[in-house]
Amino acid sequence: MKKLLASLLLIPLGFNFVRADEKPLEKPKTQTVKFELVPSGHFIVSVKLNGNGPYNLIFDTGAPTTLITPRIAKDAKVAGDAKDKPLIPLFGMMGQVKVKEFTVGDVNAKDVPAMIMDHPTVKAFSQEYEKKYGSIEGIVGFPFFAQFKMTVDYSAKEMTFTPNGYKAADVMQDLMQTMMSSMGSKPQPRIAAPAGLWGLELTKPSDDEADGVNVKTVFAGTAAAAAGLKAGDRVLTIDGRWTDSVPDAYTATSYVTPGKSVHVVVKRGGKEVKLTVTPKIGL
Amino acid sequence: MKYLLLLGLLGLVFSPVKADEKKDPPKKAMTFEVPYRLTDTKHIHVRVKINGKGPFNFIIDTGAPALIMTEAIAKKVGGKTEDGWTTFDKLDIEGGLSIDKPRGVAVDMFQLKGMNSMGLAGVELHGVIGYNVLARYKIEYDFTETKLKWTPVDFKAPDPKRIVDKNGGQGGLEMIGTLTQVLSMLGGLKPNFTVHPRGFLGAELELKEKELVIKNVLAGSPAEEAGLKVGDRIEMAKGKSLSSSEDLLEAVKKLPEGTSLKLTVKRGQESKDITVELGKGL
Repeated sequence: MKKLLASLLLIPLGFNFVRADEKPLEKPKTQTVKFELVPSGHFIVSVKLNGNGPYNLIFDTGAPTTLITPRIAKDAKVAGDAKDKPLIPLFGMMGQVKVKEFTVGDVNAKDVPAMIMDHPTVKAFSQEYEKKYGSIEGIVGFPFFAQFKMTVDYSAKEMTFTPNGYKAADVMQDLMQTMMSSMGSKPQPRIAAPAGLWGLELTKPSDDEADGVNVKTVFAGTAAAAAGLKAGDRVLTIDGRWTDSVPDAYTATSYVTPGKSVHVVVKRGGKEVKLTVTPKIGL
Repeated sequence: MKYLLLLGLLGLVFSPVKADEKKDPPKKAMTFEVPYRLTDTKHIHVRVKINGKGPFNFIIDTGAPALIMTEAIAKKVGGKTEDGWTTFDKLDIEGGLSIDKPRGVAVDMFQLKGMNSMGLAGVELHGVIGYNVLARYKIEYDFTETKLKWTPVDFKAPDPKRIVDKNGGQGGLEMIGTLTQVLSMLGGLKPNFTVHPRGFLGAELELKEKELVIKNVLAGSPAEEAGLKVGDRIEMAKGKSLSSSEDLLEAVKKLPEGTSLKLTVKRGQESKDITVELGKGL
C-alpha cells in the first residue's frame, strides 16, 4: 500500500511559483476588468484563451490552479497540448496545459498553466447560472492573478490589474518534494529566522494564554536597546504582526530586513507604548 | 491521486447558508495593511482572532460565499448559531482591522480537512474568509509585497443565495477530505505544523566579499561565551567555505536553538576554530 501510495504521489501536484526580482521594463499600466456578481456571492469574469471565446469563468482567490472545461479547451484548441494526462480520466480530466494568451477582460497574461477538467462544482454553478449569464466554463486562480498587483472592489464590481513582475514559474515540484520527504519519516519542524539582529530574548510560559510575549533580556548596544525596549515589556505586535508566541515573534521579524524601521507595540505598566526598532545585520 | 488532491485544494465552495436580510454598516474609509503569507499550496493565508481567541489561520477566498470556520473553532470561541448563521462578537484580522458582530458559517470544509491531514499547506488551516466579509472592502493583492491593503467600501452586500442541496453538497467531492486523511495515514504522512525559533549567536556582523566580519559581540551572548571577538573574520561555517558572505549568513541562519556551530575565523594572521552553542534570542 505504501509503495502504491508513494507511486501515486510521484505524480507532480499543482504548480509552484518563484518570486522574480526583476521589475518589468516598461512602466506597468493598470487595466480595469468589470465582473458579474452572482447571487451566491461568487463573481464571473469574461475570459479568452489564445483569442478564442469569450467564456465565463469564476474568479477564485482560493484556487491555487486555474481550471478550464474540456469543452472550451477543445473550442480554443488548447487541449492537444495537454501533458500529464491522468490514467483514469475522472471528471473528464485531460491533463494540464499552458495557455499562451490567457485574457481576463482585456488583461492578458502569458503562459498560464491550467488544468482541463469538468469540476462538479463548476458544473453545478453552470446549471444554476446558464440561463442568465451563459454557461460557466472554469475557474481563474492563482497562476493568473499572481502576475499582477490586483484590486477587487465588490461595490464597483470591478478589478484592476497592474503587472508586478511576480513570475509564475512552472516548476511543479515543491509540494511533491515536501510530501515525499515527509513520507515515512518524522517531518522536520520549520525554523523561523529573523532577518536581522534585534538584541532581545523573549519568553512566554506555556500556561500564559494572553496576547503578546515577554521581553526577558535586552542586550546592551543593540537595536532593541536603542529603541527603548526594556526587560519586562510585553511585546504585542511587530510591524503590525501579532506576537502571541515566541515563534510568532521570530516569524514577524523574518519580514524586517536590517536597516528597515518598524513599529513595535509593547504593553508597559498597563499602557500600550509604540516604539520604533531598526534591526542591524547579525545573527 | 493528484487530481483528487487538486479537487480538494480548490477553495471553491457552495453557499452552505440561507439568505437573510441583516446588513452591516460600512466602516469609515481608511486603509488597513493586513499581513499575509502564501501557503505551500499557494493559498492566501491571513490570521484572525474571533472573540479575542486565536490566532487562527484563514484563507482569503472569493470562491467562498461567507466567513467559514470549523465547527470546533466556532464552539471554542462561543459563536451563537441561528438559522444557519453563526454570529460572533468580534473578528480581528491581523494588521489592526476589526469587524463587529460578524456572521459566519460553522462547517468542516472537506477541502481544509484534506489539506490539514497531509499538512499540504504547511500550516494548519481553520477556515476561509469569503464574500460576506470580503465584499465590504476594496482589497489590494500584490505578492511582491508582504501585506494586503483593505479599504472599507460603502457596499451593502446582499446575502449569498444557496444554490445546492440542503447538505451543502458538492457533487460527491466531500469524500476527498476523508479520502486524503485515510491515504495520508496509510502513507505515514504526519503533518507537522510546529515552528521553532532559530538559534542565537549574538553578534553584529558586517558583510564583506568573502567573509563575515564581527562588528560587535553582545555581552552575555553565546558569541561572547565562545570567545568570538570584534574584528574576527568568519571564513567558514560548519566546515564549509562559501562563495559569498551572503551565502555564509544564509547557511547559518536557519539552525535551531542548541545547535553546536563550528566556525573558522581569522584573527589577525591566525586561523582558529571556534564552536558556538547557539542560544535563545533574536
